Amino acid sequence: MFIHNFKYALKTLFKNKMLIFWTFLFPIILGVFFNMAFSNIENSEKLEIIDIAIVDEEEYRVDDFYKEIFETLSSGDKKLFNVNYVSLEEAKDKLLEKEISGYIIYLDNPKLVVANSGINETVIRNVLEEIEDTKDIINNLVQLKVQEEILKNPEVLNYMESLTARIYEEAVNELNNVQVNVKDISKSNLSYTMIEYYTLIAMTCLYGGLLGMTAINKCLPNMSSNGKRVSIAPTKKSTMIVSSVLASYVVQLIGLSLLFLFTIFVIKVDYGRNLGLVVLLACVGSLAGLLLGVMIASVIKAHENLKLGIIISVTMLGCFLSGMMGITMKYLVDTKMPIVNKLNPASMITDGFYALYYYETTERYFFNIFSLLLVAGILFFISYMFLRRQKYDNI
Amino acid sequence: MKKIIEVKNLTKEYKSLKAVDDLSFDVYEGEILGLLGPNGSGKSTTINTILSLLNFSKGSIKIMGKEMTPDLYEVKKEIGVVFQEVAVFEELNVYDNIDYFCGLYISDRKLRKEYIQDALELVGLEEFQKYMPKQLSGGLLRRLNIACGIAHKPKIIFLDEPTVAVDPQSRNNIIEGIRTLRDRGATIVYTTHYMEEVEMLCDRIIILDKGHIIAEGTLDELKSLAKIEEKVTVEGIVLNNKCLEEINSFKNVQDMKYGADILVVTYKKGKNNLLELIDYLKDAKLQYDKIFSERPTLNDVFLELTGKDLRD
Repeated sequence: MFIHNFKYALKTLFKNKMLIFWTFLFPIILGVFFNMAFSNIENSEKLEIIDIAIVDEEEYRVDDFYKEIFETLSSGDKKLFNVNYVSLEEAKDKLLEKEISGYIIYLDNPKLVVANSGINETVIRNVLEEIEDTKDIINNLVQLKVQEEILKNPEVLNYMESLTARIYEEAVNELNNVQVNVKDISKSNLSYTMIEYYTLIAMTCLYGGLLGMTAINKCLPNMSSNGKRVSIAPTKKSTMIVSSVLASYVVQLIGLSLLFLFTIFVIKVDYGRNLGLVVLLACVGSLAGLLLGVMIASVIKAHENLKLGIIISVTMLGCFLSGMMGITMKYLVDTKMPIVNKLNPASMITDGFYALYYYETTERYFFNIFSLLLVAGILFFISYMFLRRQKYDNI
Repeated sequence: MKKIIEVKNLTKEYKSLKAVDDLSFDVYEGEILGLLGPNGSGKSTTINTILSLLNFSKGSIKIMGKEMTPDLYEVKKEIGVVFQEVAVFEELNVYDNIDYFCGLYISDRKLRKEYIQDALELVGLEEFQKYMPKQLSGGLLRRLNIACGIAHKPKIIFLDEPTVAVDPQSRNNIIEGIRTLRDRGATIVYTTHYMEEVEMLCDRIIILDKGHIIAEGTLDELKSLAKIEEKVTVEGIVLNNKCLEEINSFKNVQDMKYGADILVVTYKKGKNNLLELIDYLKDAKLQYDKIFSERPTLNDVFLELTGKDLRD
């Protein structure tokens, strides 16, 4: 009986044009639009690599901190600067010839010399200010740590030089860790396009609710005439519901797979290195979405179209709050009303992908996974309680 | 005869409304029991309650000697239902629809295949197996609805107004199919508000109104409840008051209605009522299109018992 119902549930779901549109086609169409709209925006907003010069003098050469930072900022795929190490005269000439946006010269402190005031000049100034601020923090930390160590081990005074170096290194590491946490809510770290694709997947997961609702409606006598016919058959309600919901889940996962394949191979979305974890999050998100539909179908006694409207509205609202219609919304909700997105399944999915893409650790990712499982569990419990006692009761 | 369904003092209340009020009746093996009544009389509620789709306030329901509950699968296996509203999947073709519902009862695929062919033949849908429901006419859709309800060859069949909005050809086909099911030994509970169908099909009839049984018996038993013996209708006739008074004064006339050039005269009893009226119209040199006589119908019985028409 389980297999019989499962087979036909799959067949009816795949042939339901409305469902297939919302769960298969709509996300793909939206993905195409996102690709057309947001990739251009992102490209236009990408910073150009800025040509600068650093006056290559003794003061600069001995400042390891500055040297290391500028080497980092001028190398790799995401480099910000093209750095020319030149003499003061050469730097002046290059600035006059507009070959560079500005040069940095070491006097007591590094000074920036620019010829104009524009975006590039502002960026260089901001970077220098950031470096100075960071350096101050590190120096303060070093002093504190050194004092602590001296108090604890006065005999190590002889090894002060090596100790200072070690502490300096530790302080830098510590500061780096602080910066990771700061990243969490920093708008400047969110990519338009990636957030859009994350919300798109979140939307697809939650649209699974439509499939869940259809599966339940088919089994409930007060929801459809087919439900009446199914209810008078000599089969357990639980068998019918579980097999129908499982079929819905399979259909949803197929829809999600198509979306992933499309976004990865056609519009070249990079979901990061952990594809297994990406899939796991999508599966858990889909489960939560599916059970949202099951819960709505079980609890609300209303026409199927009204339930459909509720599921679509809840999904769109959730996606809106997690940044689908504008990245600013996610930033605003995360900073002003964090509880909203802590309860929003769409945001849990989006944030899970975000965590996976941007962070080395999976702590935040698994927090979202467990949050989604908790939501799914609550939805399942509510649905179970209502389905258990549900009886056809209409004239 | 063996009782297949026993309903005792069944009451179903919706807040202040009693949809079914202290209903008691039995259904015997192999018979077709007609539940007749106007819309809202409690026919469908009675069926849904018997099927455990609805809970009820008071009373008891036994099917095949067992107290009916939603989990009484051994009894449910023997029941087939054709609901008033068409209950099929738009996404499945004719064959798959029947296979799906039949498969909820019969797990043996080979046997199911045979049963499906029988059902298709019974309702005359053999040529439409691959059609999707939306490609079928209203009548064919109703036939599919019936096939889905009876393909598993149940011993007890509930047919809830299966011929609503059906063309004459499909109606005849459905009625023939129901007769065949009865001939194969099924016990049938048939609800309708079409009295002609009840007269054609049912062995026994229960007339319901406002959740009560107002009459019960065979067709002849019920007709005897109507206090008229004959009804004569004259169509396309123009009459003045004097003529109407003269007709009303005939010996056996019980009642007379005239309007829109149609005269209906009901007679308590007696013979030659039709002849008497024809002679009168001839003598009075009155022209008319058509004149015919009828025996009282179930509608007359209903009218007699409730003062209103069955289709009101």
